[in-house]
Amino acid sequence: MLFDPNVILNNLDYLLWGRLAQGEPGGLLLTVLISLVAGVASLALGIPMGLLAWSKPGLIRAALFWWADLIRGIPLIFVIFWVYFLVPALLGGSMPSALSVTLALAWFTSAAVMHSTFAGLEALPKGQGEAAIASGMSQWQTLRWVLLPQALRNLVPSFVSLFASLIKDTSLAFILNVPELTMVASQVNNRTQLYPSEIFLFTGALYFVLCSGLSWAGQRLGRSATEGSS
Amino acid sequence: MTFDWTGVLSGAPLIWLQTGVVTTLAITLAASLLASLLTLVLLALRLSERKLARALASSVTELFRNTPLLVQILFWYFGAYNLLPRDWRDWINNDHPWATLPGNVPLLTPEFLASAWGLGMFSAVFIAEEIRAGLQAVPSGQREAAISQGFAPWQVLRFVLLPQALANAYQPVVGQYLNLMKLSSLATAIGLAEITYQVRQIESYNSHALEAFAVGTLLYLAIGLIMGRALLHFDPKRRRIKKLLHAAPVISEAADAV
Amino acid sequence: MPIGQPDPSLPIIQFKDVRKSFGDSPVIQGVELSVKRGEVVVICGPSGSGKSTLIRLVNRLESLTNGDILIEGESTAGLKGAALRKLRSDIGFVFQQFNLYAHLTAHENITLALDKVLGLPKAEADGRANDLLARVGLADKGQHYPAQLSGGQQQRVAIARTLAMQPKILLFDEPTSALDPEMIGEVLAVIRQLAESGITMLVVTHEMGFAREVADRVVFIDQGQIIEDAPPAQFFGATRHPRAQRFLEQLLSPLHGAGA
Repeated sequence: MLFDPNVILNNLDYLLWGRLAQGEPGGLLLTVLISLVAGVASLALGIPMGLLAWSKPGLIRAALFWWADLIRGIPLIFVIFWVYFLVPALLGGSMPSALSVTLALAWFTSAAVMHSTFAGLEALPKGQGEAAIASGMSQWQTLRWVLLPQALRNLVPSFVSLFASLIKDTSLAFILNVPELTMVASQVNNRTQLYPSEIFLFTGALYFVLCSGLSWAGQRLGRSATEGSS
Repeated sequence: MTFDWTGVLSGAPLIWLQTGVVTTLAITLAASLLASLLTLVLLALRLSERKLARALASSVTELFRNTPLLVQILFWYFGAYNLLPRDWRDWINNDHPWATLPGNVPLLTPEFLASAWGLGMFSAVFIAEEIRAGLQAVPSGQREAAISQGFAPWQVLRFVLLPQALANAYQPVVGQYLNLMKLSSLATAIGLAEITYQVRQIESYNSHALEAFAVGTLLYLAIGLIMGRALLHFDPKRRRIKKLLHAAPVISEAADAV
Repeated sequence: MPIGQPDPSLPIIQFKDVRKSFGDSPVIQGVELSVKRGEVVVICGPSGSGKSTLIRLVNRLESLTNGDILIEGESTAGLKGAALRKLRSDIGFVFQQFNLYAHLTAHENITLALDKVLGLPKAEADGRANDLLARVGLADKGQHYPAQLSGGQQQRVAIARTLAMQPKILLFDEPTSALDPEMIGEVLAVIRQLAESGITMLVVTHEMGFAREVADRVVFIDQGQIIEDAPPAQFFGATRHPRAQRFLEQLLSPLHGAGA
């Protein structure tokens, strides 16, 4: 049984950008859009949490870690469910599925960002903070000007890797029928029935290019970031 | 907001939930066994003296790490499964009471097999990577000392490097197995009747979304807690988390003392 | 192939035009050196001079780029596989960072190679381990893990570990450089005892007091070449080469040495 590339070619536009012409982005485009928004949101949420956990040991740190472990302790699908059902129930009205997924992904990923930020701050040599304090800087100034810049630079590869995971996690949007790449591929498969291998291998290849490209870029960035600082 | 727990914890929904739990546990076990075996194969390839073997291991790793698990499962179920010989598929589709767990959970179905295989392969890649990271974390002096004493390469691995690598990697590896359990929820996409599938079924049966999701969440948390505790009991390092919780950062103490 | 006992008058180690480069940078540039059986040779020099590399070539932790090292008259440059492992088991190497097997107790550190490399029966291996731990003053620390021992104690266990293999040659790569000052003495004392027992030793070290009292010869190496090679009295009293003189001055009185 030979592979028939026609099924890919015939559906290529749908796979790549969904029903963009009708104002409904889908496929790879939607995947990238969701990932970008969720990624930025997870950083906005996770980095401050990590900062807080690092600078306030004891009860606050314990609570933050407990919270993060709770989120990561349930399957991502359930986090998506909760956001989809709970947020409208609390705030009234309904929420578009794509937004639910984006928020859920941001929330889920922010726990990992928090862990990474914490670890990144922990990994800095103690002498950095001590030198700043010794010259009279406040706790906040030390964090803002000395510690955080270094930690964030070191964390670039880690964040890029989290972003690659995020891209893969967008595939779970199928559970809410959001037409991202995996959902769309699944639809094409249901419709055409005869070419599952071609479709899913191609879909896998698209993700592969995206994610491995990101990993490669992340490693390059990480290397140049640490080279610049030494 | 009122909660109606009986709608979820009695009658048909309760039976579905029980089936779901058995299925989740079964798929977790099956995929874990498979993952462990495949990890050994991957590690053997990784540590081989032959360049081809190492290249194979790293390409497989890159491939499975950079594609979503869901796409992999969909591929195994819709694509690869149909490439199996017809006789095999017919045999699998027959009823096999000997391979059915209590609660009417059949193990020899395309859904179960594809999920177990997909989950197993995916997890094996990550577990093998954790062990590899554990190996790299062993100081190079350990290897030099062993070589200086005249150990052969396989002896260096077996008696000096791997014991330390496995101790390093134990916690992350346990984390990967816990992940496997949580990722089993993806099998709902191909119709495996595990917990997530049952929860959605209850929700569409009597619209008790919040109650059903709450129960589902608690089930996963409970299974994860039990699995985690059990596995970490054997941790060679048994680090205390308390130390991490109370280690004071340099700046708050010093700044307050000024 | 030699039959019977090796000739005691032949050097036990012979460096023949030994060269070693890491990529394009030459680290050892044509070293000729002979060490007689039972000699204690201290090797010193500025950092980057190649002194560690020189002894690492003897047990092939690094491989030669050119030249040869003869051990008991036998060429070792081309050794591979089982023959190389046999060579290594006959040579003891003590590391600056001790490199005790972190997951094993002190006792197990000593017996592991006795069991897996030499194939000794358990009773004999245990016996040797106990004797050697006592010999280095750590008879009661056998069940401790390296993490529970001080630096000086770890290094003494490391020395016991090499002695257990009953090597013909002992190599020391800056054995006290990673130790806190108060622990240097206990380790040097053990090394001194070994020197007096007649075993052939190459010791890379900065401890000039040790060199003066224990060494049969002191070799000064700089930029990959041997600059001075003399008995201690001559080396410390009447150094010939200006670079060696400068090195000694800097080492013995740092404030006055450089740029003075």
